Amino acid sequence: MATLREKLKSALGSGDNSAKIRRRRAMTASLWRNLSVLRVALLVTGYVWMLALPSSQLGQGTYIDENALQPGQVNTYWSWADVRRADDYLKDLELLRDRNASSEERAAYFATEFAKLGIPPSTQKYALRSSTLASEGTNAYAVFSSPRASGAEAVVISASWLSHTDGFNLRGLATVLSLSAFLKQYSHWSKDIIFILSDGYLDGMHAWLSAYHGSSQSNMQVEPLELTSGVIWTALNIDYPGHSFSHLGVFREGLNGRLPNQDLINSFRLISHHTGGVPVLLYDHHDPSDFPGRQDILKIFPAWTPKRVTDNKDVMEYGYRAKNILRHVGYQARGRASGVHGLLHQFRIDAITLFAVPSNGPHGFHALGRTVESTLRTMNNLLERLHASFFFYIMATPGTFLKIGTYLPSAVLVAVALMFGGLGEWVNAGWVEVLDQDAGATDKQSAALIHAKRWVQRSRDVIPALGIVISTHVAGAALFSVVSSSWFMANQQTYTFPVILLASLLPLLTLLLPSSGDPTSQAPLPILLKSATLCLSSTLISVTSVLNFSLAALLAVALGVPVSLAAPAHSMITRLLRYLLYAALGLGWLALGQEMRQAVWHWEVLGVWFAPLVCVVYTPMMLQAGIVCLLSP
Amino acid sequence: MRWFAFFSLILVQCSLSAAHSGEEYHEELKLRPLPDGKLAARFAFTTLLKGAIPRAPTNLTVNDESQHYTLFPLAMGQLLREYAITELHLTLNAGKWDYDRWGYPEEPGVGSGAELWTWMGDGAPTSIDERWKAIQNAHAGLFCASLGSMDTQRTTSPTRAFPPTGDLPRLPAPHVHRLRHATLPAEHVCTENLTPFLKLLPCPAHAGIAALLAPHKVFDADWHGLGVHVRWRAGKGVELVMTVQAVFDPVRMSAERKRDWSFHSVFDRTIPRSCPVATTSLIHVELPPPGDGSYTLNPAPSTANQAVATFSISKDLPELDVTMKWGEESRFAYPLDASSTPLSDFSVQRTLKGSSQTHGQLSIVIRNNRPTELSVLYLETMPWHVEFYLHTLRITGPDGQQCNDLFSNMTYTPPVPHAQPAMLQAMLTLPPLTTLRLTMDARKSFLRYTEHPPDAQRGWDLPPAVFVTQSASGGASKRVYTPALLVDLATPDFSMPYNVIIMSCTLIALIFGSLFNILTRRFVVVKVDGNVPKVQ
Repeated sequence: MATLREKLKSALGSGDNSAKIRRRRAMTASLWRNLSVLRVALLVTGYVWMLALPSSQLGQGTYIDENALQPGQVNTYWSWADVRRADDYLKDLELLRDRNASSEERAAYFATEFAKLGIPPSTQKYALRSSTLASEGTNAYAVFSSPRASGAEAVVISASWLSHTDGFNLRGLATVLSLSAFLKQYSHWSKDIIFILSDGYLDGMHAWLSAYHGSSQSNMQVEPLELTSGVIWTALNIDYPGHSFSHLGVFREGLNGRLPNQDLINSFRLISHHTGGVPVLLYDHHDPSDFPGRQDILKIFPAWTPKRVTDNKDVMEYGYRAKNILRHVGYQARGRASGVHGLLHQFRIDAITLFAVPSNGPHGFHALGRTVESTLRTMNNLLERLHASFFFYIMATPGTFLKIGTYLPSAVLVAVALMFGGLGEWVNAGWVEVLDQDAGATDKQSAALIHAKRWVQRSRDVIPALGIVISTHVAGAALFSVVSSSWFMANQQTYTFPVILLASLLPLLTLLLPSSGDPTSQAPLPILLKSATLCLSSTLISVTSVLNFSLAALLAVALGVPVSLAAPAHSMITRLLRYLLYAALGLGWLALGQEMRQAVWHWEVLGVWFAPLVCVVYTPMMLQAGIVCLLSP
Repeated sequence: MRWFAFFSLILVQCSLSAAHSGEEYHEELKLRPLPDGKLAARFAFTTLLKGAIPRAPTNLTVNDESQHYTLFPLAMGQLLREYAITELHLTLNAGKWDYDRWGYPEEPGVGSGAELWTWMGDGAPTSIDERWKAIQNAHAGLFCASLGSMDTQRTTSPTRAFPPTGDLPRLPAPHVHRLRHATLPAEHVCTENLTPFLKLLPCPAHAGIAALLAPHKVFDADWHGLGVHVRWRAGKGVELVMTVQAVFDPVRMSAERKRDWSFHSVFDRTIPRSCPVATTSLIHVELPPPGDGSYTLNPAPSTANQAVATFSISKDLPELDVTMKWGEESRFAYPLDASSTPLSDFSVQRTLKGSSQTHGQLSIVIRNNRPTELSVLYLETMPWHVEFYLHTLRITGPDGQQCNDLFSNMTYTPPVPHAQPAMLQAMLTLPPLTTLRLTMDARKSFLRYTEHPPDAQRGWDLPPAVFVTQSASGGASKRVYTPALLVDLATPDFSMPYNVIIMSCTLIALIFGSLFNILTRRFVVVKVDGNVPKVQ
C-alpha cells in the first residue's frame, strides 16, 4: 500500500498538476468557443444520418430467429375444392353487399355458415361514439376448439367488412370462411383458432378486442362475448379487396407505433415465396427491379426529376427504400394502425395484415389459402410467445431491415445538439461580459478594451420562464379540450380560424410582462426561456426515441432547427414577424381539417397519443420559441 | 407340459386363496353418439380385490405381508401397500371437455392435464406430505408422467369438492384421513403414458376390449384421457378402475363427412377374441333419440332396450366389429341450434381479463340452463402467482344488479408467496335460467428470476376451477371442470444475461473507479499562472 501511494505521489507531481489544470481549462475554453460549431455539426450529422437511412449500405438481411417456427417445412393440403367453397361464399357475400344488407343480417349469415360447419359461432353488437362520428355494427366470430388442445392459447384469423382501400373486403371474408371449414378437418392444431369477421374497418375489431380483454371505455357499448378462448398469441388479418392479386403486401404498424415481432413477418415472407409462390411486398410498394426499364410507372420520384438521375440503379434503390421508410414513419409517427391487425399489438398479440395487392392476376384464393395454411402451421409450432427476434426495427425492403443501433443515433444526435444548446444558454444566462469601469476612459485602444472586459455572474430568475413554459402547456391542454369537443368538430369550418387566432394571440400577453431589470445583475427572460425550451425538447426527443422512433425523428425535424434558431430581435416588427412564423408552425396543423378529425377520432376511440401530444407538447414548445423571439432582449 | 400347466394352475389357486378370497376382472366399453356427430367412448377395466382392506398407516413400521396377485397389477398393489393409500385418483387428459355439447362425462375427472388426489390416513411414522411426495414420484415412474413437479406450491386439500368416492376404514383415534390434491394443467398425454397403462391390464392390447386401444387413433381423438381410480368399498374389497375416455370425430375421419362409425373406422382395430380372465365383458352403445334419423346397428346386440344396446363378448364370439350407420344421410348436417340446447345443467366460462402484467380480473360467467334453482360448490385453487383481492368479489345478475347473497358458506385459505397456493370453496346458488357474472380482481406477482420455468415466455398455466353440483334429491353430484388458464407474468428477457452482466460490470467499475480516485487522491493547493489559487 505504501509503495502504491509512493508511486501515485510521483505520478501526481506538483509540476504536472498545474499543467493538467491549464490543459483542462484550455479544453473547456475551446469547447465553449466552438459550442455553436459543435451544435451545428451534431444537428447536421443527425439529419444527414436520417437521410442516409434508406441507403443500401445500411441495413441487413432478415433471418428467422426462433428455431421453433420452421417456416415452410410442411405439406399444404388447401385444394381447389376449398377454393370453390370460397367462391361459393363470395357469391353469397356479393348478394349481401348488393342488397345493402344490414350489419345484423351479415353477422347472422356468418354465424349460420359457421354453425353449418360445426364451429360454435356467436355475434357481438357494439356502438361507438366520438366527437367526430358515431358508428355501430355487429361482429361475427367463431371459436374452433382444436382437438386435444387445452384452450389456453389461441391464434386469430380475421377479416374486416371494409378494406383499407375504401372497398369491401369480400374476398378476405370468403377466405376466412373457407379456411374455417378447411382447418377444422385437421387435428394437428395446438392452439384454438378464433375466426373473427369484424364489422366496419377498425371499429368492429376494437369492440371485439375490448370485450375479449375486459377493457372498457366510456364512449363504447359492447356486448360481452359468449364464447371465449385462451390467451391470443399471434394473429393474421386478411385484406383482399380486388379480383385477383399479384403480390401479398405486409402491413405491420400498430397503434402508438407498436410493431409485431419480426419473426412473424419473416416467416410469412419465406412461406409466401416458397409455398404460395407469391412475392411479398411492403405495403403495396412494388420493387422497381421488377419493372426493368419501366420504373417510372411506380412514381417513386416526382415527375420533374431528370430521367438521367432516376435511371441510375442506386438512386432508384434509394428512392424505393425511402418510400418504404417514409410510409412506415407516416404510420408510426402518427401512431396509426396500418390495418386492422394494428389494434391487437396493445394486447401483446403479434399480428400483421396480409394485403392482396389488387391486380389482374395471376393469384387468387388458391395461393392465399396455401400461404395462410402454412403460416398457421408455423404459428402452431410456437411453444412460447414470439420473443426471439426484433421488436424494434425499420424494414427497408421485404428482405432487409435496419437494427435499432443503426437508426436510433440519428434522432439522439439531434437531441444532444439541443441539450448542448440549452446548457449553453443556461451558462449564457448566468454570466455576462461587462466593461470594467475601473480600467479607465472609454477612448482606450481596442486591445486595452479586451483586457478591460470582465465576466460577472448574474442571478438567474427561473420562475417567470418556468411560468411561461407551464402556462403554454396548460394553454395547449385547453386547446386540445377545445378541438376534441363535439361542438368544435360539428362546426369545424367555422371555428378553425377563430381558434387559431385566439391561440396565437394569447402568447402576446407576454409582451405585458415587465421588462427584466439590469442585464448585468438579472438574466434576461428570453435566454432563460430558450434554455428551458431547448432542454425540454431534447428530453422529449430522446425519451420518445426508444418508444417510437418515427415520432422522435418527426419531432427532431419539427423542433430541432426552429427551437435552435429562436432568438429575440431589437425591432418590434422583426419580433412580431418571427413570432408569427413560429405561431404558424405551431398551430398550422389546425387547418388540416380531415387529418385532425382522424387524429381526434384515433385518440377518443383507440387511445392514440398523437393528437394530445401535438396539442399539449409540440404546439406549446413552438409557442415558447415564438415567445423567445417576441420578448425584448 | 400339461402336467406343468396343471400344477401351476393349482399353485395359482392356492396363492389366491391364501392371500385373498379372490379377484374379479370386469371390462366395459360405453359408446355414446353425440348430437354434434362425435362419438364419446369410455373404457373401464375394473379389478376387484375381494376382501382386501387398505393397509393401516400405523402398520407401516412392521414388515408387510407378501403380495400375490393374479389379476390385480402388482406394481399398483405394491404402491398402495407401501404408502398405505386408502383412495387414489390419477387422471391424465388432453383437450377441453365441452359440457354443453357432449354432456357430462362418464368419468368426472376431465380437467386438462394431470390431476392426482389421494385420501390417506395419518398416524404413520412418515408424514402425510412425505408420503404424498413419494406417491407422486412412484406414479410418475409408473406412468411416465412428470407428476413429480406437483410440489407444495400446487398441493391443496379441497375436502368439500373431492370427498372420498369409496369408504374410509376406521382409524384409531386421534388419526383421521387426509386429502391431498394437485393438478398440472400443462401436462401432455401421449403414447408413453398409454403403454405402461396397458401393461397393468390382465389382457393388454391383444384380447378383449383393451384390444381396441390403438395409440395412433386414441391420441388423434378430439378429447382423450386416462384414469386410474383406487377405492375401498367396505364389505367388498379394494377396487381398481382403469379408464380410458375419448371423444372421436367420425365426421372428420370420413372422407364423405358422415357420422357413421365402426370399431374399424374409429379405433383401427376390432375385438379379435374375448379376454379369458374377464368375468364380464360388455359393450354398451347408447342409442340416439328417436328424432335423430334412422340408423342401423351391426351386428345385432345381445340385449337392447329403448336407450342402450349391449354386446356381451363371450368366449365363442368371432371377431367383433360394431358398426353404426345412418343410411339416409349423404353427409352429416351439424345442428344449427347447438348453443341454445346445451346438454349440461349449467355452463361456465372462466377467463382472466386484463392485459397488464401487474393486475388482472378473474371473470366467471355461469348460466343456469334449467328451469329449476341449482346449487353448486365452487372451488378455485390458484397458485400464489395470482393473488385474489377477495373484497372485490362481485356477483352481478343479468340486469347488472349486485347479488352477492347468492354466495354462501365460503372457506378460504390465503396463499403463502413462494410456498403455497390459495384455495377458495363456496356455495353458489344459481337462479333458474339466469346468467350470473362473478368477478374478482387479482394481482400478478413479480417472480424471482430463478422461479421462472425454462419456457418463461409461455406464461403460467393455472389450474381449472371445479364446480360440483349439489343435488337436493340426493342423487350423485357431478364435478364440472373449467378450461385451464394461461397467465402472463412479468418476464425478464432471458436472452440478455450477457448484456446485464456488461451493464452491471460497467456500473460497478465506474463507481469503484471514481471512489478509488477520490480516496487515493492527495488534495494540494496549486498555483496556475498567478491566477487565484484553485483547489484541485
